[in-house]
Amino acid sequence: MISLSSVDRKQAFRYMGLPIEPDLHFQHLADVCEKKLLSSIAPRYCWKLFQKSDLQTLLIGQDIQIHLEHCDSVILFCATLSQSTDACIRAAQAEDILKGIMIDAMASALTEQLCDQAEQEMLSSFPEKYPAWRFSPGYGDLPLSIQTDFLRLINAEKRLGICVSDGGLLIPTKSVTAITGLSDQPLPKAKKGCAICNLSQTCLYRKKGVHCS
Amino acid sequence: MNLKSVLQEQKFLILDGGMGTMLQSAGLELGGIPEMLNFTDPDLITNIHQAYVKAGADVIYTNTFGANRLKMVKTHKSVQQIIQTAVQNAKRSGAKYIAQDIGPIGQLLEPTGTLKFEEAYDIFREQIEAGNDADLIILETMTDLYEVRAGVLAAREHGNGRPILVTMSFEENGRTFTGCEIPAMALTLEGLGVDAIGVNCSLGPEELTPIVQELCQWTTLPVIVKPNAGLPDPVTNTYDFDPQKFGICCQAFIKMGATILGGCCGTTPEHIKALSDMIQSQSPVKRTLSLPSAICSANRTVIINQPRIIGERINPTGKKRFKQALLEHDTDYILNQAIQQIDAGADILDVNVGLPQIDEAEMMQTAVKAIQGITDTPLQLDTTDPKALEAGLRIYNGKPIVNSVNGEEESLCTVLPLVKKYGAAVVGLTLDKNGIPKTAQGRFEIAERILNRALALGIRREDVFIDCLTLTASAEQEGVMETLEAVHRVKTELGLHTVLGVSNISFGLPNRELVTRNFLTMALYAGLDLPIINPNTESMTSAVRTYKLLANIDKNAVDFIAHYGNDQPSAPAQPKSQEMTLATAISSGLKSEAGSITKKLLESTEAMTIVNEFLIPALDQAGAEFEKGKIFLPQLISAASAAQSAFEAIKAHLCEHSSETVSRGTIVLATVKGDIHDIGKNIVKILLENYGYDVIDLGKDVPYEAVAEATEKSHAPLVGLSALMTTTLPSMENTIKLLHERCPWCQTVVGGAVLTPDYAEQIGADYYAKDAKETVDIAKKVFQN
Repeated sequence: MISLSSVDRKQAFRYMGLPIEPDLHFQHLADVCEKKLLSSIAPRYCWKLFQKSDLQTLLIGQDIQIHLEHCDSVILFCATLSQSTDACIRAAQAEDILKGIMIDAMASALTEQLCDQAEQEMLSSFPEKYPAWRFSPGYGDLPLSIQTDFLRLINAEKRLGICVSDGGLLIPTKSVTAITGLSDQPLPKAKKGCAICNLSQTCLYRKKGVHCS
Repeated sequence: MNLKSVLQEQKFLILDGGMGTMLQSAGLELGGIPEMLNFTDPDLITNIHQAYVKAGADVIYTNTFGANRLKMVKTHKSVQQIIQTAVQNAKRSGAKYIAQDIGPIGQLLEPTGTLKFEEAYDIFREQIEAGNDADLIILETMTDLYEVRAGVLAAREHGNGRPILVTMSFEENGRTFTGCEIPAMALTLEGLGVDAIGVNCSLGPEELTPIVQELCQWTTLPVIVKPNAGLPDPVTNTYDFDPQKFGICCQAFIKMGATILGGCCGTTPEHIKALSDMIQSQSPVKRTLSLPSAICSANRTVIINQPRIIGERINPTGKKRFKQALLEHDTDYILNQAIQQIDAGADILDVNVGLPQIDEAEMMQTAVKAIQGITDTPLQLDTTDPKALEAGLRIYNGKPIVNSVNGEEESLCTVLPLVKKYGAAVVGLTLDKNGIPKTAQGRFEIAERILNRALALGIRREDVFIDCLTLTASAEQEGVMETLEAVHRVKTELGLHTVLGVSNISFGLPNRELVTRNFLTMALYAGLDLPIINPNTESMTSAVRTYKLLANIDKNAVDFIAHYGNDQPSAPAQPKSQEMTLATAISSGLKSEAGSITKKLLESTEAMTIVNEFLIPALDQAGAEFEKGKIFLPQLISAASAAQSAFEAIKAHLCEHSSETVSRGTIVLATVKGDIHDIGKNIVKILLENYGYDVIDLGKDVPYEAVAEATEKSHAPLVGLSALMTTTLPSMENTIKLLHERCPWCQTVVGGAVLTPDYAEQIGADYYAKDAKETVDIAKKVFQN
């Protein structure tokens, strides 16, 4: 069961470019915004399992191929907080831009939380498999232009009400498509942290001598 | 028997089952386009149709679910070719009736998506015109009521009178993906004159039971149910409800009063056979209904079964600041008025945007779309211009109130047909060519006349609300009780709901609030259902809440206690602003303090002095701290946000007291075509406005031409463009190119997550701004101020 009862604030503050522990003014604002956001969401997701070999026309580029090197099957999934969240962000922006930004950042954090939970639920169907970390169109050289075919393959338009705009963006905006590879063998541990981050040279947090997570 | 009478008499009609299911088992390739099989394997399609006819289906859906110009773009076939061929394939099955199947467009409508209502209409129009050989039109698997409205209007206006059926897909929470409620669907579509409504897909018969139950209580139309074969297995995505069980479960829908049944995903001819066998032993169940008086947006229904507050503030009459906002197309100002009233307790918002200098029809559409983009609160469209009224009705999502018709022949003849066509409720004013009758009897007679004319056109009695008109107590004191008497009689003798704009009562008297509040209470007691008031005045909303408590409407005082239970009697709060300076209020991001300090300052200081000596230095300081990395962007925005409320106080003051405006120059802003992420642009806008620039905000997903047009019209020296995604950068380049051609005087500044100074130069932009603060610096440079 998906249960999103609170927002990962640390993550949301990070998306906003706030200090990880902002002052009380922002903490209070976060209380108000979290309540508004949580009452607006209708989180859901859908997925389908494929053999990797069936997805060769979808999985374009080197990066995803390397990423899935040791996987034989692949879960394609799509998750969304739904259209009412977009409306909530619009309303907040009209009222107060700061609230709009806060709710927008919180919604992004919540979308990640939704994906985490969804992934756990899906993976419980495959206790014998080892999952690779989830990969999304737009990462590395996997282009956003695959979104339309991606959604069609898992019937996400009909099952979740998600579509792709002319510019290749998912609508509602707080939606994610993702790919989780499954392997029969344990996978090498993925590298994480500042060392492999694209922003390591320009990061505001590093300049201040702290980390984002 | 012809189809219209089958529908009107609510006889049984059996629909077919799943098409996708059958195609998949016949080996449709993964991700393939089913509509192409109409050409590549027409026999397969006809055979499937035939199997359903044999199983007992009266109606066959053509294989055209996605046959619209957007989804078929890669097929190299025209929408006409596809639909006409599919209709022929269906006809060869020998079915009694062929339904032209129309699914969702596949793009979300504005404001969440980018598709305009008018474009959606045109896409449906093309499909509907291509399907004229089919017997009926079915819009199915719909989740967005707004999209459905576009489809239904296209079907009514281009469908050659073919019956129109609509089914939407609801989740277990009783809402569609877009949040549409069952009552809202029923009210809106029955109002628009469709022939049958119902549900399909998303759930199996068991889960659909409560949904169908609710729908059956909200419509007098035939009800359609086309469930899936249970819920899909999450791993295999297959359905496992066997045909017998499907047939048995569907019996429950017949008991509820549904008469049109079939199957959706996972159902096969066997399921339809079981359904058809079951129906042989049944007869249609007649529903006895008393539909309440109600209006709605797509996501919220307001039942008029107790006093409901209509907020009156979206109206320029007597408000200079509002007039200015309309002239400047400042929708944010209107949205703020909407939000404030809703927070204060408005159940419905009156929308009046009439001003002689503007195109009211266009403004009505802009305002209705913008307000509906941020709130579910239903609206009352308030205009005397039939063109503006139709413009608003056409794009309103849900069932609105029309304010108003009156007893004059011309008004009755122009307004009521529009109310009928678009399925609205209407306010009837008790006046005619002779003016407002002095007596209650005179007004009652006009009310009766309006009612009869509405009924004759097929408008339901429950949808006629009567305004007996409040006269000013200071001028016509003897008329006050006549109004209340008229309200009482209309309510009790005609059984209609009543509306009154109450504020007018106290015009010209001292202590207006006292007079208005007491009149409001008297009117509620006389039978007023829909007071039109300023909900921001606490004594008005509290009078309504108190009345509901005393009249035993607010049972156990739940609502009253929720609002006033925590009130502590306290000494009047000392305004915090006494010692605080404007600079502190701004740097601490305190919006209301910034506003109140500014108001106080305006009593003794020139507006422009405040701007130049207080506001801008405070913002400059926040900007400098941001640049030094002392504060983060949200803190800068917080300061800007507080400065904005100071600015709002100054604008309101200038509107009232002089013709002077604060303007340091005009800047056009837009998020480029294809891009829907506009928060960054909105931050820039606020900061620029705080510095006194007039910003023409074109919004998001803005066509190149629209940017050029606005720049030409305003002759703006600076245009700001934003883009968040790499995929939309080419749009930015194209916009700049067009600006160079058509507006050679203007300079451009670009920004957004994926832009770099190099790229900005490469696409011909004059400036690159890394953040909102830098945009202000660039503006200062361009305008040399």
